[in-house]
Amino acid sequence: MTAFARTLRAEWTKFRTVRGWVLASVATAALIVAFGLVPGMRGSCGKTGPGSECRLPVGPGGQEVSDSYTYFHQPLSGDGTITVRVGALTGLLPGDDPNQPRHGLAPWTKAGLLLRAGTVQGSSYAAVTTTGAHGTRLQYDYTHDLAGQPGGPGQPDTSDAAGGSSGTGSAGPRWLRLARTGDTIRGAESPDGVRWTMIGSARLPGLATTVQVGLFVTSPQYSGEVHRGLASGAFGGPSQATGTFDHLAIAGGWTGTAWQPDVVGGERDAVGDQLDGPATGAESVERVGDIVRLTGSGDIAPAVVGAAGLGVSLSQTLVGTFVGLIVAVVVGCVFGTAEYRRGLVRTTLLASPGRTRVLAAKAAVVGTVMFGAGLAAAAVVVVLGQRVLRGNGVYVHPTPTLTEVRIVAGTAALLALAAVLALGLGTLLRRGVTAVTLAIVLVVLPYLLAVTVLPAGPARWLLRVSPASAFALQQATPEYPQVANLYTPVNGYFPLAPWAGLAVLVSWVAVALAVAALALHRRDA
Amino acid sequence: MGCVLRAEWTKARTSPGMSSLLATMVVVTVALSAAVAATADPLPGADLPKLGLTGVQLGQAVVAVFGVLVMGEEYATGLVTVTVTAVPHRAMVLAAKAAVVIGLVAAAATVAVAGCVLVGWLLVPTGAGVPTGALSSAAAGLHAEVPVPAAPSPDAVAVRPAVGSVLYLVLIGLLSLGVATSVRSSAVGVGIVLALLYVLPIVTAVVADPTWQRHLRQLGPASVGLAVQASTADPEIGPWTGLGILVLWAVGALLAAAILLARRDV
Amino acid sequence: MVFPSLLAHPTITVTGLHKRFGATTALDGMTFAVRPGQVTGFVGPNGAGKSTTLRIILGLDAADTGEALVDGQPYRALRHPLRHVGSLLDASALGPGRTARNHLLWLAHSQGLGARRVDEVLETTGLTSAARRRAGGFSLGMRQRLGIAAALLGDPPTLLLDEPFNGMDPEGIIWLRRLIRSLAADGRAVLLSSHLMRQLEDIADRVVVVGRGRVLADAAVGDLLTTVSDGRVTVRPVAPMAVGGGEAEAAAVAGAGALDVATAVLVDGGGSVLPAGDGSLVVAGLSAEAIAALLGRHGVPFSELTAHRATLEDAYLQLTEQAVDYRAPAVADRGVLPADAR
Repeated sequence: MTAFARTLRAEWTKFRTVRGWVLASVATAALIVAFGLVPGMRGSCGKTGPGSECRLPVGPGGQEVSDSYTYFHQPLSGDGTITVRVGALTGLLPGDDPNQPRHGLAPWTKAGLLLRAGTVQGSSYAAVTTTGAHGTRLQYDYTHDLAGQPGGPGQPDTSDAAGGSSGTGSAGPRWLRLARTGDTIRGAESPDGVRWTMIGSARLPGLATTVQVGLFVTSPQYSGEVHRGLASGAFGGPSQATGTFDHLAIAGGWTGTAWQPDVVGGERDAVGDQLDGPATGAESVERVGDIVRLTGSGDIAPAVVGAAGLGVSLSQTLVGTFVGLIVAVVVGCVFGTAEYRRGLVRTTLLASPGRTRVLAAKAAVVGTVMFGAGLAAAAVVVVLGQRVLRGNGVYVHPTPTLTEVRIVAGTAALLALAAVLALGLGTLLRRGVTAVTLAIVLVVLPYLLAVTVLPAGPARWLLRVSPASAFALQQATPEYPQVANLYTPVNGYFPLAPWAGLAVLVSWVAVALAVAALALHRRDA
Repeated sequence: MGCVLRAEWTKARTSPGMSSLLATMVVVTVALSAAVAATADPLPGADLPKLGLTGVQLGQAVVAVFGVLVMGEEYATGLVTVTVTAVPHRAMVLAAKAAVVIGLVAAAATVAVAGCVLVGWLLVPTGAGVPTGALSSAAAGLHAEVPVPAAPSPDAVAVRPAVGSVLYLVLIGLLSLGVATSVRSSAVGVGIVLALLYVLPIVTAVVADPTWQRHLRQLGPASVGLAVQASTADPEIGPWTGLGILVLWAVGALLAAAILLARRDV
Repeated sequence: MVFPSLLAHPTITVTGLHKRFGATTALDGMTFAVRPGQVTGFVGPNGAGKSTTLRIILGLDAADTGEALVDGQPYRALRHPLRHVGSLLDASALGPGRTARNHLLWLAHSQGLGARRVDEVLETTGLTSAARRRAGGFSLGMRQRLGIAAALLGDPPTLLLDEPFNGMDPEGIIWLRRLIRSLAADGRAVLLSSHLMRQLEDIADRVVVVGRGRVLADAAVGDLLTTVSDGRVTVRPVAPMAVGGGEAEAAAVAGAGALDVATAVLVDGGGSVLPAGDGSLVVAGLSAEAIAALLGRHGVPFSELTAHRATLEDAYLQLTEQAVDYRAPAVADRGVLPADAR
């Protein structure tokens, strides 16, 4: 047996023979499970008889999508080109007062050309579109988004609304063109119909010969952040937009028959509008000579959790992690400081004089125990917690298995690292109470301040640099730049990628352990 | 009682960590308030006094450590046997310690909160502020008549939030004393107190169900206690009602501690 | 201050204490009294219930049944308990960051005493020069002195000292013995728990020997020694020809015969004899003088004749033999050696 293995074994014996520590480790897991399975939240999904089940359309990539828009279209076969000029884009947004909508455009209001495999929700598509505040875009299959020129017909109206209008592109009407060649779709734009700029191309694999091609307008759920002093909150609601099109022309191999108006996703029932929100009842298609005016509401985009979406994400079932974390921190810290209580450290160091080795063995023991506790608890919660919520009629966003595995392992890692951080601080400070407080203040307080008090900017900064960054490991749903939403921690979104967040915590732990090891060497036992 | 109080006062006074701990409390409280006040970009109509008292969120952790240590340290060193031998009436020991906590925390908290009010007054921009972003545009009109940027803001000073914050910190100190006495361990005690102060609000924020959220908010010691900081009355918890609920928490913890202390072998 | 001695009532009375910790019986009818003007030794094997008894007297633990009274009152009813009983239980029980003087100062304040009394006891215990050092840095011996200073603080008529000699250097031990004697001479009652029987033998007037949670013996030291020594004498007979320098082998062979002869003579003389196994005999029932006369009359030579002077240790070991549950056959003069005493 190597020296380290012997020390490891000694520390393990030390840990498992203190009943309080073993019980606390079990309690860590039990608390996480209890918080995950307590049937707190209620919803109406599937509770009001058949047909009330909450289900979102699923896109070609397998993810859930929003797919509601006003469409002016016709089926076209083979390859061809469609061109249109978007003359104007106006809209209505929810205001602070829910009964008083104000004029303005949501940043991701869209009006443009849309080519789809079909009008079934979730079907494959490509669109060239002007937007409320993000210029011209080529978007396809819900998750892909290519930027064209900034500016566009929506810009003059956005100056006092959504903010962040870049303003470098020309405002005013915009010409759009969409061309199909086999399963490749190319998008182009022009300020005047003469000078064309290519935006990019999209490949829609397995696209049928006959597709739906036409004009569309849609305007997503609008959400804004409010700060009333320290209370920050969100408000939101459906928005609507009206696009005015002219110079509509079909060319290439396409031969038009008759245009057909449609409101896709607009015929939602009572449960449906809770689900997909943006049906405002104002959807319409108007055609006066050459001019087509579409009013639409909704979005063609991946579905998100939060103010702009609905339901909850898997991360919300893991709220017990915070409680478990406190227990893990206390155990980790006391495992270190108990040595100093009655001079046990002298016995320990006589038995194994390698001080760094003792610290490493302790870290390995407490880390492994907490990892095991976290792994078991998170696995139970991830598997059963969503079932409980769904049983209560709450819509829980499905999460890919790989993400679930990452969340389970991540929760375990979070507990283990927090316990090791506390161990390092405990060894360094030799005072249980100070070390526990410091560990909790470092790991939990940043998250608390970020979800309750701080405005978005400082909150995101705090969640990039503090050990709380590692909560990113629990993020269940990805953040999409092309969907306006409050991507806040309270909704389960973190500023760092999961592994980057983990890296931040690991760095903190490494520094704490290194300083503790140094102190252990420098000072007398 | 006079003797016991004097003894506990001497004990606290001569404990080397205590004065630096209270100084730390003042420093971190004022520092966080200053950081928030300096970086905040409050919307018009924002609750400036509350914003300036953000430091209490951090200061309460140090107060919790203080409250926990007053009793926890005795258990850690075994000194508690000497204390109880000198004063066999154990409830009296607890009462004397509570009195010491009240006195010292109130003094330190007064300094800290005064510091917060001062930095709030100096650093928080005046209510009018410059409208930023789309959101503020709607409300900007309300305060447009007082555009005095970069001047000390009288809006940031209010009496109830400040006095309430001092009382809040005192009550957190008492709660910590009660918890630590009940569990006989500083580390475990501070873990429990900080779980109540920090984790409960997180659970409250993350729990999406509004009913549960309201119940948790109306029960959690931090949320009810800090309601006193709101300049405009919180619709769910009145400022003094909230502090009253926190009093119940503190008294409950101390009662449990007194009963356990009297019943248990030391 | 001089306290009325001997005539006075007991200062501590312990009556029928019972206490269980889970499945373990710690105290099983503990009963004794501590009288003024005496040093009462309190001895017993580990786990016999000494510390538990002291903790119950001091109100730290509660007895299941029975009572412990200090000056006729339960400890917890005393208003200024340190003026009734001074105690030292655990010398390391102090705030390590506080100075020795400040430690005593808060204790003094709790009894309504002032800083002057603190300086007096610091002087008495020889800690004046270390008074402003952090107590956490003290050696065990100095902590014991500080603990004794705390016990003396209220100038109490009764003192309870648990293992006060632990960690003290020889000089400190001498000082403490003198101190304890002088406290008793003042008329104070001192209950002194210790494992060091030799220390107790010299300073205790009385001993309370406990085992398995109850009192095994409660007697004056002198009486106890008399009962224990029981007039035993060790005799080492030798063969006649070996006297005056025979070879070792011859002596051993002849010695066996000499033992038999001597045993017969002494038994005839009315003694009871036990071979000790090392060539000597332990004789009871006959005085040393009678044995010498008998052996001389029968012409049995002997090289050693020792009358036992029983030590407190012997008494203790004999009394606690049952209590430590050691069942090996008793060996002649040593009784039982509780090497594994718990």
